[in-house]
Amino acid sequence: MRLTALDEAAEAIGLRKNQGVAEARAMCPKLDVVEEDLAADRRLLDGIADWCDRYTPLVALDGRDGLFLDISGCAHLFGGEKALLADILARLFHMGLDARGAISSAPGLSWAASRFGRGGIIADEDMETVLAPLPVASLRLDQQTIAALQKLGLKQIGDLVMAPRAPLARRFGTQLLLRLDQALGRDEEPVSPRRPVASLSAERRLIEPVQAEEDILYLTGQIAQSLKTSLEERGAGGRAFELMLFRVDGRVFRIAAGASQPLRDPKRIAALFSERLQAVHDDLDAGYGFEILRLNVMRHEAFDTPQEDFDGARQKDASLAGFVDRVSARLGADCLQNFQLCESHVPERAVAAAPAIHGFASGKKPVASGFPWSRSERPLRLFRRPEPVDVSLAEVPEGPPESFRWRRVMHRVSRSQGPERLAMEWWIDGADAQPRDYFRLEDDTGHRFWLYREGLYGQMPPPRWFMHGVFA
Amino acid sequence: MVQTPMTRERLFALREEIARLEGNCAAAARQEALAGESGHARKRENHRLPLGVPALDHALEGGLPLNGMSEIRSQLMRDATAATGFALALAVLIQQQPEADHAPVLWISDTVTSMETGIPYALGLADFGLKPERFLHAAPRRLEEALWLAETAVESGAFSASILEVKGNSAHFGLTESRRLGLRAKAAGRPLLLLRQSGEEEASSAPFRFLVEPAPAKSRLLPDRSVLGGSIGNPVFRLTLEKSRNPAPVSLYLEWNPHDRQFFPAHEPERAWPAGRLSAHSGSRLPASANRPGRPQELGSVLALDQAS
Repeated sequence: MRLTALDEAAEAIGLRKNQGVAEARAMCPKLDVVEEDLAADRRLLDGIADWCDRYTPLVALDGRDGLFLDISGCAHLFGGEKALLADILARLFHMGLDARGAISSAPGLSWAASRFGRGGIIADEDMETVLAPLPVASLRLDQQTIAALQKLGLKQIGDLVMAPRAPLARRFGTQLLLRLDQALGRDEEPVSPRRPVASLSAERRLIEPVQAEEDILYLTGQIAQSLKTSLEERGAGGRAFELMLFRVDGRVFRIAAGASQPLRDPKRIAALFSERLQAVHDDLDAGYGFEILRLNVMRHEAFDTPQEDFDGARQKDASLAGFVDRVSARLGADCLQNFQLCESHVPERAVAAAPAIHGFASGKKPVASGFPWSRSERPLRLFRRPEPVDVSLAEVPEGPPESFRWRRVMHRVSRSQGPERLAMEWWIDGADAQPRDYFRLEDDTGHRFWLYREGLYGQMPPPRWFMHGVFA
Repeated sequence: MVQTPMTRERLFALREEIARLEGNCAAAARQEALAGESGHARKRENHRLPLGVPALDHALEGGLPLNGMSEIRSQLMRDATAATGFALALAVLIQQQPEADHAPVLWISDTVTSMETGIPYALGLADFGLKPERFLHAAPRRLEEALWLAETAVESGAFSASILEVKGNSAHFGLTESRRLGLRAKAAGRPLLLLRQSGEEEASSAPFRFLVEPAPAKSRLLPDRSVLGGSIGNPVFRLTLEKSRNPAPVSLYLEWNPHDRQFFPAHEPERAWPAGRLSAHSGSRLPASANRPGRPQELGSVLALDQAS
């Protein structure tokens, strides 16, 4: 067992990383060793990354213990780069985290300066002078290369910058030069954010944290109002929204809500979240309150401004869209479905259920409404999967059953209609799928069923009977 | 007992008030005439949908109320489809009204019933007279969610009819909840059909309650008006109006014609069917295999016992 991380007190005693636990205990018998929990570390880092969303939407994870923040265009909101860095570090310090940070125009340089240098803000013209005295380990290279470089006496980055490039590339591969160029800002290095970037976002920072749901909704409405002008400029309306609530103790809640039509009306956006808040009520722990509320438009679509008319037809569409949005926000998009007809003759594939939020209200026409083939009447209710039926007496080779046992009840068939033979779709079910013979049956109490026989009599495997639906 | 004109006046006013509370149309109309007020809202309040069967319409005092809740009940789970069919037939009738403007129909299903008797099938709905693209299916997980959905749907006014399916007599859906739903539907002026599957009779706020039982279907008619023997045609329901202002329950057979979208009164079906009938098939039998001569038409039906195959 080896030590992987140390706190300040342990560092003061003189313990080091990668030291054996036995050796460390010999140095300090009272040592408190806790087993490493990578998952918990990861959760903490994710939590901090969420918290950092308050500074910029572009936050990327870096290894096990680092974060990249792309602050292009954000620094002025916090009073400049210096104030921004001081603010981040001070807040993290007060949360009990020992963090170091650096701001520069290259991610590699910031990485090196925050881990091996003094950190702080590095101007573009000082990049080389800051980088030169740092050890080669600060170039994010693998252990082998670092060891090889040190063996050659190239201990500082300054030595590498001075050295001719071609022999370096020949000896250590292109990775070394790539990292060097990235650290010096000569090569681009994209920072990939951990979350999709919102197309529009607006936020409100509060001096006094809010806890009550009504306050959150009121503020959401106000933020939506400030988003409205930007949406209007783009001629767009939002389809997917996300409300981020930053709690004072650093926890961040994200509440997503979708709309069936592009929305820009602040009232309706707030109404969406009012339903969502009802749904997530138990999971949303306000604690000491929320200090920042941010509304993100995750997806937007073109918004065509409707011409108001007097007969109120549009009003009806709007109320339907409002209903679909409310229900989908509160009970989930899958709760409300509409049926779409598909090009298939197999009964269970002929109809697909799609969430209503994806196009019921927008007036999209179903793909296939007319069916070219003739078919017999279909049942009013279809079982999710056909249920096996016990048929003891049936007309051979292809007649209806005389009686059948379904759910432990014997039904005597008094009338029957059929068969309607449906071959399965060989391109899905395979060539050896058994055809189905469907019968419409009525028993002597007046119940009407839709049974089918899979397979044929006189063939192996013997045919089986299934109940697939019931008629009115 | 001597009644002063004052008392009589007061009694009359109280009776009118009670009639108004109970939603009695005739009294309300009289009062309206007395008050001399007329408006779209008032007209809508008294709106009834005639079902086209005189005996039933008379018992319903003009038809199905379009501004409130009506209850449809099935006794057993295996009768659930008959109740489903009757409720959907009513929804078709409501939807094709000129005022409804083909607004969609909302079906709020119950989880257990959906597992037991399946979910509404779009092609079957089309065969039953309902356009599948004007049909929304909601599958809430709990009864509270279903009640909230029904309330929201009625209030939104976006649906020509909402059907709320519940199973049995739940303790969470008692008189209070049903009264609340009924009042919401009344305030919004929208029809709400409460479909109670395999439920007992229970006090509810709905003014009418139907019991639906399956009945043998009509036979299919051939073009020359003769009957195709042994065929299964339009569905028939055995309908009992269990709760209404009539003291005696009305019981009758109703045939639903999906093509004309209309109810017809049906006669009590004769139970006994001649034995030894063949499967009704208006076309020819299935052709024999391609590489063999067609078989002769068989004289009787051959039966396969369980082990024979």
